[in-house]
Amino acid sequence: MPPTLNPLDLVTRINRDVERSLLRARNGVRYVRGSHAPKVGATPKEVVWRRGKAEVWRYRNGTIRYGPPVLIVHSLVSRSYILDLRPGSSLVEHLTDAGLDVFMLDWGVPDELDADNDLERYVDWYLPRAVAAVQRETGCREVTLAGYCLGGVLAALYAAGHKDARVRNLILMATPLDFDEMGAMVALLREGRLNPEELVDDTGNVPADALYSGFYMQAPTTEIAQKATLLDNLWNDEFVEGFQAMAQWSRDHVPFPGAAFRQLVEEFVRKNVLVTGSIRVGDREIRFADVRANVLNAMAERDNVVPPAAVQPIMQLVGDPARREEMRLPGGHVTFGTGRSAVKHTMPQLAGWIIEHSDERPEPEEP
Amino acid sequence: MSSNRPLWLRAVHRVERAIGEPVEAAVRTDTYFDLVTKINRTTKSAKRTVGGASTKVLHLANLPASSDMKRMREQLSRMERRINQLSENVAELDGSPPDPSPHD
Repeated sequence: MPPTLNPLDLVTRINRDVERSLLRARNGVRYVRGSHAPKVGATPKEVVWRRGKAEVWRYRNGTIRYGPPVLIVHSLVSRSYILDLRPGSSLVEHLTDAGLDVFMLDWGVPDELDADNDLERYVDWYLPRAVAAVQRETGCREVTLAGYCLGGVLAALYAAGHKDARVRNLILMATPLDFDEMGAMVALLREGRLNPEELVDDTGNVPADALYSGFYMQAPTTEIAQKATLLDNLWNDEFVEGFQAMAQWSRDHVPFPGAAFRQLVEEFVRKNVLVTGSIRVGDREIRFADVRANVLNAMAERDNVVPPAAVQPIMQLVGDPARREEMRLPGGHVTFGTGRSAVKHTMPQLAGWIIEHSDERPEPEEP
Repeated sequence: MSSNRPLWLRAVHRVERAIGEPVEAAVRTDTYFDLVTKINRTTKSAKRTVGGASTKVLHLANLPASSDMKRMREQLSRMERRINQLSENVAELDGSPPDPSPHD
């Protein structure tokens, strides 16, 4: 039997559709004009350390109930605000709300002055100083180091390569070790069709546009579906803001320092050296097995930038087997920072793991 | 969730996937990789040829070309990097940060 149409329901539905059409028109104009830019990276913070373009930020957002402090090491290819995208959908906000003392190591936007930055510079120069700054700022001897994407590789190399590194917990979020599994993103470089020199520009770095094109070409038509979804949800302010923030981030890459890029191509991509469990950095060999921290290997099941297969070797190579754990999360590469799935699954699970491996402070304090 | 989506949106998504899947497969083929490489090399070589010719003309008029500016910028950057390194070393020698005090 066909459902009967209640006149009151019909009026309500017409009212709703008219209201939504008006909102669509208003938000559409705003979207096209580019006004009402979303506020990204909004969690209050202050700079506590700075060297060159690199900065360590301390987030000021509520009472600190657990230690040691958490230092997030961001990737070299994207902007760190993905981990603090929007209020209500931010890993940083979630961790601080949970009572953790959160810091971010942001690499800034490299220019010609950073073209010589190689792995050694990041692992042996920036990271020890950034960790020392966090220790000084908080008075804690230990830190929880959380690396995202390539930042995870840097964090793991630091934790393994510095005997004096006081890393209690090492969290590797979407951290690639097996570059043979990285797919089309690196195939051009792996097979020698493109040489690093061909991508490096006059500044000595790989321009942000080249990185954006690499990501874009992975799925060039998805933007059509995304724009159609936006059109359908244009009446919803929150959806539009989230969409704009995400679109802004996905276009907002930073240049990749030339020296580090050459090493990445030669060592990581062509020799796939990280899956051997060790790599030469500076004048010494760093072995991932030397990590003494609790290790969490967090991977996203639908990550097409760093697929789970590229992350998997962490469970055989990094740290002590008895202190390794794996966390499989629904969602894609950005589920570590933002999104509905992140709020529901990733953030509570990550915060829970960190708290479980931290100490409760005798007296909670304001940051 | 998907049943809440209007018909037109479902159709757009279906069409996008119908086009997108073969496109995504195509950009993972050797042919595509070869094409990208060829375009990249041809563009660079064309830029070099044009740049070389304009450099010759500018040098005849005793004017600096973009390659000269590039070299100068590189030299300046090298010098600035060196100065930065030295000032970092001096700063660390001057006031090396104290060891963190025990807390936990």
